[in-house]
Amino acid sequence: MDLDGFEAATVPHMNALYDAALRLAGDQATAQDLTQETYLRALRSFGTFEPGSNARAWLLRIQYNLFCTQYRRGRRMPLVWLDEDEADPALDLPSPEPGPEEQTVRELDREAVRRAIAQLPEDFRMAVTLVDINGLTCAEAATVMDVPRGTILSRLHRARRRLEAMLLPELGRVQADDL
Amino acid sequence: MTCEEFKLQLTAFSLGELGPDEHQRARDHLAGCDDCASRVLMDRQLTALLRASAVPAPETTRTAVLAAVRTEARGEASPSAPAPERAGRPAPSPRRPARRRHWVALAAALVGAAAVLAAALLVVPAPDPGSPLSAAWSSYHHRGEDGLGIPSEAEADRLFAVLGPASRTPDLSDHGLRKAGWEERDLAGHVAAVAEYRDAEDGRVTLMRWRGELPRMAKGTEGGELAAYTWGRHTSYWWQADGVVWCLVGTIEKDRLSGIAESLRRES
Repeated sequence: MDLDGFEAATVPHMNALYDAALRLAGDQATAQDLTQETYLRALRSFGTFEPGSNARAWLLRIQYNLFCTQYRRGRRMPLVWLDEDEADPALDLPSPEPGPEEQTVRELDREAVRRAIAQLPEDFRMAVTLVDINGLTCAEAATVMDVPRGTILSRLHRARRRLEAMLLPELGRVQADDL
Repeated sequence: MTCEEFKLQLTAFSLGELGPDEHQRARDHLAGCDDCASRVLMDRQLTALLRASAVPAPETTRTAVLAAVRTEARGEASPSAPAPERAGRPAPSPRRPARRRHWVALAAALVGAAAVLAAALLVVPAPDPGSPLSAAWSSYHHRGEDGLGIPSEAEADRLFAVLGPASRTPDLSDHGLRKAGWEERDLAGHVAAVAEYRDAEDGRVTLMRWRGELPRMAKGTEGGELAAYTWGRHTSYWWQADGVVWCLVGTIEKDRLSGIAESLRRES
Protein backbone atom coordinates (compact mmCIF):
# COMPACT_ATOMS: atom_id res chain seq x y z
CA MET A 1 0.00 0.00 0.00
CA ASP A 2 1.64 3.22 -1.17
CA LEU A 3 -0.17 5.63 1.12
CA ASP A 4 2.13 8.54 0.26
CA GLY A 5 1.58 7.96 -3.45
CA PHE A 6 -2.16 7.69 -2.93
CA GLU A 7 -2.39 10.93 -0.96
CA ALA A 8 -0.14 12.80 -3.39
CA ALA A 9 -2.37 11.72 -6.28
CA THR A 10 -5.76 12.23 -4.65
CA VAL A 11 -5.71 14.82 -1.85
CA PRO A 12 -5.25 17.78 -4.26
CA HIS A 13 -8.68 16.87 -5.69
CA MET A 14 -10.60 16.77 -2.43
CA ASN A 15 -12.22 20.17 -3.00
CA ALA A 16 -13.51 19.03 -6.39
CA LEU A 17 -14.78 15.74 -4.95
CA TYR A 18 -16.56 17.46 -2.09
CA ASP A 19 -18.09 20.09 -4.38
CA ALA A 20 -19.40 17.42 -6.76
CA ALA A 21 -20.68 15.33 -3.82
CA LEU A 22 -22.51 18.34 -2.43
CA ARG A 23 -24.19 19.06 -5.76
CA LEU A 24 -25.18 15.41 -6.13
CA ALA A 25 -26.25 14.67 -2.58
CA GLY A 26 -27.60 18.07 -1.58
CA ASP A 27 -26.52 18.27 2.04
CA GLN A 28 -23.20 18.62 3.80
CA ALA A 29 -23.39 15.51 5.97
CA THR A 30 -24.13 13.22 3.00
CA ALA A 31 -21.53 15.04 0.91
CA GLN A 32 -18.89 14.29 3.55
CA ASP A 33 -19.96 10.62 3.73
CA LEU A 34 -19.88 10.32 -0.04
CA THR A 35 -16.45 11.98 -0.26
CA GLN A 36 -15.04 9.76 2.47
CA GLU A 37 -16.45 6.56 0.97
CA THR A 38 -15.08 7.57 -2.43
CA TYR A 39 -11.59 8.00 -0.99
CA LEU A 40 -11.78 4.64 0.78
CA ARG A 41 -12.87 2.89 -2.41
CA ALA A 42 -10.16 4.67 -4.37
CA LEU A 43 -7.58 3.55 -1.80
CA ARG A 44 -8.68 -0.07 -2.19
CA SER A 45 -8.42 0.08 -5.96
CA PHE A 46 -5.39 2.36 -6.19
CA GLY A 47 -3.52 -0.55 -7.80
CA THR A 48 -5.67 -0.10 -10.91
CA PHE A 49 -4.93 3.63 -11.20
CA GLU A 50 -2.55 4.45 -14.02
CA PRO A 51 0.10 6.93 -12.87
CA GLY A 52 0.03 10.03 -15.04
CA SER A 53 -3.65 9.71 -15.97
CA ASN A 54 -6.23 12.18 -14.69
CA ALA A 55 -6.70 11.37 -11.00
CA ARG A 56 -9.54 13.86 -10.65
CA ALA A 57 -11.56 12.15 -13.40
CA TRP A 58 -10.76 8.75 -11.89
CA LEU A 59 -11.98 9.83 -8.44
CA LEU A 60 -15.08 11.53 -9.82
CA ARG A 61 -15.99 8.38 -11.71
CA ILE A 62 -15.72 6.28 -8.53
CA GLN A 63 -17.83 8.85 -6.72
CA TYR A 64 -20.48 9.08 -9.42
CA ASN A 65 -20.83 5.28 -9.57
CA LEU A 66 -21.09 5.14 -5.80
CA PHE A 67 -23.74 7.84 -5.79
CA CYS A 68 -25.79 6.12 -8.52
CA THR A 69 -25.68 2.72 -6.82
CA GLN A 70 -25.96 3.61 -3.14
CA TYR A 71 -26.86 7.22 -2.46
CA ARG A 72 -29.35 8.29 -5.06
CA ARG A 73 -32.44 6.95 -3.35
CA GLY A 74 -33.99 9.21 -0.75
CA ARG A 75 -31.74 12.20 -1.28
CA ARG A 76 -33.14 15.68 -1.07
CA MET A 77 -31.96 18.87 -2.71
CA PRO A 78 -31.81 21.99 -0.57
CA LEU A 79 -31.76 25.40 -2.17
CA VAL A 80 -28.56 26.61 -0.54
CA TRP A 81 -25.69 24.85 1.09
CA LEU A 82 -23.35 27.22 2.82
CA ASP A 83 -24.06 27.52 6.49
CA GLU A 84 -22.53 30.51 8.17
CA ASP A 85 -20.29 28.40 10.39
CA GLU A 86 -18.96 26.34 7.50
CA ALA A 87 -18.14 29.10 5.06
CA ASP A 88 -14.39 29.48 4.67
CA PRO A 89 -13.61 32.95 3.35
CA ALA A 90 -9.90 32.16 3.07
CA LEU A 91 -10.66 29.50 0.47
CA ASP A 92 -13.31 31.59 -1.25
CA LEU A 93 -11.07 34.57 -1.76
CA PRO A 94 -7.81 33.76 -3.49
CA SER A 95 -7.74 37.16 -5.22
CA PRO A 96 -7.06 40.53 -3.56
CA GLU A 97 -9.88 41.28 -1.18
CA PRO A 98 -12.64 43.45 -2.67
CA GLY A 99 -14.49 46.07 -0.65
CA PRO A 100 -17.27 45.09 1.73
CA GLU A 101 -20.11 46.01 -0.63
CA GLU A 102 -18.51 44.05 -3.43
CA GLN A 103 -18.01 41.08 -1.10
CA THR A 104 -21.64 41.13 -0.06
CA VAL A 105 -22.86 41.32 -3.64
CA ARG A 106 -20.50 38.52 -4.67
CA GLU A 107 -21.68 36.28 -1.86
CA LEU A 108 -25.30 36.91 -2.82
CA ASP A 109 -24.39 36.07 -6.41
CA ARG A 110 -22.73 32.84 -5.37
CA GLU A 111 -25.83 31.89 -3.43
CA ALA A 112 -27.99 32.62 -6.49
CA VAL A 113 -25.69 30.50 -8.70
CA ARG A 114 -25.79 27.53 -6.32
CA ARG A 115 -29.55 27.79 -6.16
CA ALA A 116 -29.83 27.92 -9.97
CA ILE A 117 -27.55 24.89 -10.42
CA ALA A 118 -29.52 22.95 -7.80
CA GLN A 119 -32.67 23.50 -9.88
CA LEU A 120 -31.20 21.76 -12.95
CA PRO A 121 -32.08 18.13 -13.70
CA GLU A 122 -29.48 15.77 -12.23
CA ASP A 123 -27.83 14.86 -15.55
CA PHE A 124 -27.42 18.54 -16.47
CA ARG A 125 -26.24 19.43 -12.98
CA MET A 126 -23.57 16.74 -13.03
CA ALA A 127 -22.31 17.76 -16.49
CA VAL A 128 -21.99 21.39 -15.34
CA THR A 129 -20.30 20.28 -12.11
CA LEU A 130 -17.76 18.10 -13.88
CA VAL A 131 -16.86 20.35 -16.80
CA ASP A 132 -17.66 23.96 -15.89
CA ILE A 133 -16.84 23.88 -12.22
CA ASN A 134 -14.25 21.15 -11.87
CA GLY A 135 -12.46 21.54 -15.17
CA LEU A 136 -12.83 18.10 -16.76
CA THR A 137 -12.85 17.87 -20.55
CA CYS A 138 -16.05 16.65 -22.20
CA ALA A 139 -14.33 13.34 -22.98
CA GLU A 140 -13.38 12.88 -19.32
CA ALA A 141 -16.88 13.79 -18.16
CA ALA A 142 -18.26 11.29 -20.68
CA THR A 143 -16.15 8.57 -19.07
CA VAL A 144 -17.32 9.56 -15.59
CA MET A 145 -21.00 9.51 -16.56
CA ASP A 146 -20.64 6.61 -19.01
CA VAL A 147 -22.33 8.43 -21.90
CA PRO A 148 -21.03 9.61 -25.32
CA ARG A 149 -19.05 12.87 -25.44
CA GLY A 150 -21.74 14.41 -27.63
CA THR A 151 -24.30 13.80 -24.89
CA ILE A 152 -22.17 15.73 -22.41
CA LEU A 153 -21.84 18.64 -24.86
CA SER A 154 -25.58 18.65 -25.49
CA ARG A 155 -26.38 18.58 -21.74
CA LEU A 156 -23.90 21.38 -21.11
CA HIS A 157 -25.32 23.48 -23.92
CA ARG A 158 -28.89 23.15 -22.67
CA ALA A 159 -27.88 23.60 -19.03
CA ARG A 160 -25.96 26.78 -19.82
CA ARG A 161 -28.83 28.33 -21.73
CA ARG A 162 -31.12 27.63 -18.76
CA LEU A 163 -28.59 29.05 -16.31
CA GLU A 164 -28.17 32.17 -18.42
CA ALA A 165 -31.90 32.80 -18.27
CA MET A 166 -31.91 32.31 -14.48
CA LEU A 167 -28.80 34.38 -13.78
CA LEU A 168 -29.12 37.49 -15.93
CA PRO A 169 -28.57 40.04 -13.12
CA GLU A 170 -25.60 38.11 -11.72
CA LEU A 171 -24.05 37.81 -15.20
CA GLY A 172 -24.13 41.58 -15.54
CA ARG A 173 -21.94 41.94 -12.48
CA VAL A 174 -19.11 39.66 -13.60
CA GLN A 175 -16.10 41.90 -14.02
CA ALA A 176 -13.46 41.70 -16.70
CA ASP A 177 -10.92 40.68 -14.06
CA ASP A 178 -12.96 37.57 -13.30
CA LEU A 179 -12.97 36.29 -16.88
CA MET B 1 -21.08 30.24 -40.70
CA THR B 2 -24.43 31.82 -39.81
CA CYS B 3 -25.42 33.11 -36.38
CA GLU B 4 -27.79 30.15 -35.96
CA GLU B 5 -24.97 27.71 -36.68
CA PHE B 6 -22.66 29.54 -34.31
CA LYS B 7 -25.27 29.50 -31.51
CA LEU B 8 -25.47 25.71 -31.77
CA GLN B 9 -21.70 25.47 -31.37
CA LEU B 10 -21.31 28.16 -28.73
CA THR B 11 -20.71 25.83 -25.79
CA ALA B 12 -18.25 23.64 -27.68
CA PHE B 13 -16.43 26.79 -28.87
CA SER B 14 -16.20 28.26 -25.37
CA LEU B 15 -14.87 25.00 -23.99
CA GLY B 16 -12.29 24.65 -26.76
CA GLU B 17 -13.96 21.41 -27.84
CA LEU B 18 -14.30 22.22 -31.57
CA GLY B 19 -11.99 20.65 -34.13
CA PRO B 20 -9.38 22.97 -35.72
CA ASP B 21 -11.43 23.65 -38.89
CA GLU B 22 -14.68 24.31 -37.04
CA HIS B 23 -12.83 26.47 -34.53
CA GLN B 24 -11.37 28.62 -37.29
CA ARG B 25 -14.78 28.99 -38.95
CA ALA B 26 -16.24 30.08 -35.63
CA ARG B 27 -13.47 32.64 -35.13
CA ASP B 28 -13.98 33.97 -38.65
CA HIS B 29 -17.68 34.43 -37.90
CA LEU B 30 -16.96 36.17 -34.58
CA ALA B 31 -14.59 38.63 -36.21
CA GLY B 32 -17.54 40.16 -38.06
CA CYS B 33 -20.46 39.61 -35.69
CA ASP B 34 -20.94 41.70 -32.54
CA ASP B 35 -24.07 39.76 -31.57
CA CYS B 36 -22.24 36.45 -31.41
CA ALA B 37 -19.23 38.09 -29.74
CA SER B 38 -21.69 39.23 -27.06
CA ARG B 39 -22.94 35.67 -26.71
CA VAL B 40 -19.37 34.44 -26.22
CA LEU B 41 -18.76 37.11 -23.60
CA MET B 42 -21.93 36.11 -21.75
CA ASP B 43 -20.85 32.48 -21.91
CA ARG B 44 -17.51 33.45 -20.38
CA GLN B 45 -19.28 35.43 -17.69
CA LEU B 46 -21.40 32.37 -16.95
CA THR B 47 -18.30 30.18 -16.70
CA ALA B 48 -16.71 32.66 -14.29
CA LEU B 49 -19.87 32.66 -12.15
CA LEU B 50 -20.09 28.87 -12.12
CA ARG B 51 -16.45 28.46 -11.24
CA ALA B 52 -16.73 30.99 -8.42
CA SER B 53 -19.62 29.02 -6.94
CA ALA B 54 -17.41 26.00 -6.14
CA VAL B 55 -17.68 24.97 -2.50
CA PRO B 56 -14.36 23.89 -0.94
CA ALA B 57 -14.28 20.91 1.38
CA PRO B 58 -14.60 22.13 5.00
CA GLU B 59 -11.63 21.46 7.25
CA THR B 60 -13.74 18.99 9.26
CA THR B 61 -14.37 16.96 6.10
CA ARG B 62 -10.69 16.98 5.12
CA THR B 63 -9.68 15.83 8.57
CA ALA B 64 -12.31 13.07 8.65
CA VAL B 65 -11.49 11.77 5.16
CA LEU B 66 -7.73 11.71 5.79
CA ALA B 67 -8.21 10.01 9.15
CA ALA B 68 -10.42 7.34 7.56
CA VAL B 69 -7.93 6.79 4.73
CA ARG B 70 -4.99 6.43 7.12
CA THR B 71 -6.93 4.14 9.44
CA GLU B 72 -7.86 1.96 6.48
CA ALA B 73 -4.30 1.96 5.17
CA ARG B 74 -3.01 0.84 8.57
CA GLY B 75 -5.29 -2.15 8.26
CA GLU B 76 -7.74 -1.07 10.93
CA ALA B 77 -11.48 -1.05 10.49
CA SER B 78 -12.63 2.29 9.17
CA PRO B 79 -15.27 3.89 11.39
CA SER B 80 -17.72 4.51 8.57
CA ALA B 81 -16.99 1.75 6.11
CA PRO B 82 -15.81 -1.72 7.13
CA ALA B 83 -13.41 -2.87 4.44
CA PRO B 84 -12.71 -6.39 3.18
CA GLU B 85 -9.64 -8.31 4.37
CA ARG B 86 -6.44 -6.33 4.24
CA ALA B 87 -3.73 -8.76 5.35
CA GLY B 88 -0.19 -8.20 4.26
CA ARG B 89 -0.29 -4.46 3.88
CA PRO B 90 2.86 -2.72 5.06
CA ALA B 91 2.75 -0.11 7.79
CA PRO B 92 2.42 3.46 6.53
CA SER B 93 5.55 5.51 6.21
CA PRO B 94 6.10 8.61 8.40
CA ARG B 95 3.93 11.49 7.29
CA ARG B 96 4.40 15.15 6.72
CA PRO B 97 1.98 17.38 8.63
CA ALA B 98 -1.38 17.21 6.88
CA ARG B 99 -1.94 20.94 7.12
CA ARG B 100 1.01 21.75 4.91
CA ARG B 101 -0.13 19.24 2.35
CA HIS B 102 -3.51 21.01 2.20
CA TRP B 103 -1.92 24.31 1.36
CA VAL B 104 0.22 22.69 -1.30
CA ALA B 105 -2.97 21.17 -2.71
CA LEU B 106 -4.78 24.50 -2.63
CA ALA B 107 -1.90 26.23 -4.38
CA ALA B 108 -1.83 23.51 -7.04
CA ALA B 109 -5.58 23.87 -7.56
CA LEU B 110 -5.31 27.65 -7.94
CA VAL B 111 -2.46 27.37 -10.43
CA GLY B 112 -4.55 24.84 -12.38
CA ALA B 113 -7.59 27.14 -12.40
CA ALA B 114 -5.46 30.05 -13.61
CA ALA B 115 -4.11 27.93 -16.44
CA VAL B 116 -7.64 26.94 -17.51
CA LEU B 117 -8.75 30.58 -17.50
CA ALA B 118 -5.67 31.65 -19.44
CA ALA B 119 -6.40 28.96 -22.01
CA ALA B 120 -10.02 30.13 -22.25
CA LEU B 121 -8.87 33.69 -22.93
CA LEU B 122 -6.69 32.54 -25.80
CA VAL B 123 -9.54 30.96 -27.73
CA VAL B 124 -11.95 33.91 -27.45
CA PRO B 125 -11.25 37.10 -29.37
CA ALA B 126 -11.61 40.38 -27.48
CA PRO B 127 -14.59 42.54 -28.47
CA ASP B 128 -13.92 45.18 -31.10
CA PRO B 129 -12.80 48.34 -29.20
CA GLY B 130 -15.42 50.38 -31.08
CA SER B 131 -18.34 48.03 -30.38
CA PRO B 132 -21.24 48.73 -27.96
CA LEU B 133 -20.02 45.78 -25.94
CA SER B 134 -16.69 47.39 -25.25
CA ALA B 135 -18.39 50.68 -24.39
CA ALA B 136 -20.57 48.90 -21.83
CA TRP B 137 -17.49 47.46 -20.13
CA SER B 138 -15.79 50.85 -19.97
CA SER B 139 -18.89 52.45 -18.52
CA TYR B 140 -19.18 49.73 -15.89
CA HIS B 141 -15.61 50.27 -14.72
CA HIS B 142 -15.79 54.06 -14.75
CA ARG B 143 -18.94 53.95 -12.66
CA GLY B 144 -17.15 51.71 -10.17
CA GLU B 145 -14.37 54.26 -9.87
CA ASP B 146 -16.68 57.24 -9.55
CA GLY B 147 -18.88 55.73 -6.84
CA LEU B 148 -22.63 56.19 -6.67
CA GLY B 149 -24.55 59.04 -8.25
CA ILE B 150 -28.17 60.08 -8.11
CA PRO B 151 -30.96 58.01 -9.67
CA SER B 152 -33.20 59.43 -12.36
CA GLU B 153 -36.69 60.56 -11.38
CA ALA B 154 -38.16 57.40 -12.94
CA GLU B 155 -35.78 55.21 -10.94
CA ALA B 156 -36.60 57.06 -7.74
CA ASP B 157 -40.33 56.57 -8.41
CA ARG B 158 -39.79 52.89 -9.06
CA LEU B 159 -37.81 52.48 -5.86
CA PHE B 160 -40.54 54.20 -3.87
CA ALA B 161 -43.23 52.03 -5.49
CA VAL B 162 -41.35 48.86 -4.56
CA LEU B 163 -39.92 49.79 -1.17
CA GLY B 164 -42.15 52.59 0.09
CA PRO B 165 -40.59 54.84 2.73
CA ALA B 166 -37.71 52.35 3.08
CA SER B 167 -36.42 53.64 -0.27
CA ARG B 168 -35.47 56.99 1.25
CA THR B 169 -31.85 57.58 2.19
CA PRO B 170 -31.78 57.97 5.98
CA ASP B 171 -29.95 60.90 7.55
CA LEU B 172 -26.94 59.54 9.44
CA SER B 173 -25.28 62.87 10.24
CA ASP B 174 -25.76 62.16 13.97
CA HIS B 175 -23.36 59.27 13.42
CA GLY B 176 -20.82 61.47 11.66
CA LEU B 177 -21.74 60.24 8.17
CA ARG B 178 -22.57 62.41 5.18
CA LYS B 179 -24.54 61.19 2.15
CA ALA B 180 -22.26 60.48 -0.81
CA GLY B 181 -24.84 59.27 -3.34
CA TRP B 182 -27.56 56.73 -3.91
CA GLU B 183 -28.88 54.70 -6.79
CA GLU B 184 -31.07 51.85 -7.93
CA ARG B 185 -29.24 48.60 -8.39
CA ASP B 186 -30.21 45.10 -9.43
CA LEU B 187 -29.10 43.00 -6.50
CA ALA B 188 -29.45 39.21 -6.81
CA GLY B 189 -32.60 39.67 -8.86
CA HIS B 190 -34.15 42.35 -6.67
CA VAL B 191 -34.64 46.06 -7.28
CA ALA B 192 -32.50 47.52 -4.51
CA ALA B 193 -31.99 51.02 -3.15
CA VAL B 194 -28.30 51.54 -2.40
CA ALA B 195 -27.06 54.56 -0.45
CA GLU B 196 -23.47 55.42 0.20
CA TYR B 197 -22.06 57.53 3.07
CA ARG B 198 -18.61 58.82 4.00
CA ASP B 199 -17.21 59.95 7.33
CA ALA B 200 -14.56 62.62 8.02
CA GLU B 201 -11.75 60.07 7.59
CA ASP B 202 -13.23 58.95 4.25
CA GLY B 203 -14.53 55.73 5.81
CA ARG B 204 -17.24 54.27 3.60
CA VAL B 205 -20.66 52.91 4.66
CA THR B 206 -23.22 51.47 2.27
CA LEU B 207 -26.86 50.77 3.02
CA MET B 208 -28.85 48.41 0.78
CA ARG B 209 -32.55 47.66 0.89
CA TRP B 210 -34.75 45.40 -1.18
CA ARG B 211 -38.06 43.62 -0.81
CA GLY B 212 -37.64 39.92 -0.09
CA GLU B 213 -36.39 37.38 2.40
CA LEU B 214 -33.19 37.64 4.40
CA PRO B 215 -30.45 35.64 2.64
CA ARG B 216 -29.72 32.33 4.33
CA MET B 217 -26.30 33.57 5.42
CA ALA B 218 -27.91 36.39 7.43
CA LYS B 219 -30.49 34.25 9.17
CA GLY B 220 -28.53 33.92 12.38
CA THR B 221 -31.30 35.44 14.44
CA GLU B 222 -35.08 35.55 14.50
CA GLY B 223 -36.80 38.00 12.15
CA GLY B 224 -36.68 41.61 13.28
CA GLU B 225 -33.41 41.33 15.18
CA LEU B 226 -30.01 42.36 13.94
CA ALA B 227 -27.95 39.60 12.31
CA ALA B 228 -24.22 39.91 11.72
CA TYR B 229 -22.36 38.15 8.94
CA THR B 230 -18.58 38.29 8.84
CA TRP B 231 -16.80 37.60 5.59
CA GLY B 232 -13.11 38.22 5.22
CA ARG B 233 -12.18 41.30 7.23
CA HIS B 234 -15.63 42.87 7.09
CA THR B 235 -18.91 42.37 8.90
CA SER B 236 -22.29 43.19 7.42
CA TYR B 237 -25.43 43.75 9.51
CA TRP B 238 -28.83 42.55 8.36
CA TRP B 239 -32.41 42.87 9.45
CA GLN B 240 -35.87 42.71 7.96
CA ALA B 241 -38.76 45.10 8.52
CA ASP B 242 -42.17 45.05 6.81
CA GLY B 243 -40.92 42.65 4.14
CA VAL B 244 -37.89 44.80 3.32
CA VAL B 245 -34.36 43.45 3.80
CA TRP B 246 -31.83 45.98 5.12
CA CYS B 247 -28.10 45.42 4.87
CA LEU B 248 -25.42 47.74 6.22
CA VAL B 249 -21.76 47.27 5.34
CA GLY B 250 -18.76 49.53 5.57
CA THR B 251 -15.07 50.08 6.10
CA ILE B 252 -15.52 51.81 9.47
CA GLU B 253 -14.93 50.19 12.85
CA LYS B 254 -17.19 47.21 13.53
CA ASP B 255 -18.68 48.48 16.83
CA ARG B 256 -19.58 51.80 15.28
CA LEU B 257 -21.17 50.11 12.28
CA SER B 258 -23.25 47.80 14.47
CA GLY B 259 -24.38 50.81 16.54
CA ILE B 260 -25.57 52.56 13.38
CA ALA B 261 -27.30 49.38 12.20
CA GLU B 262 -29.07 48.99 15.55
CA SER B 263 -30.22 52.59 15.43
CA LEU B 264 -31.51 52.21 11.85
CA ARG B 265 -33.23 48.95 12.73
CA ARG B 266 -35.16 50.60 15.56
CA GLU B 267 -36.35 53.34 13.19
CA SER B 268 -37.24 51.04 10.26
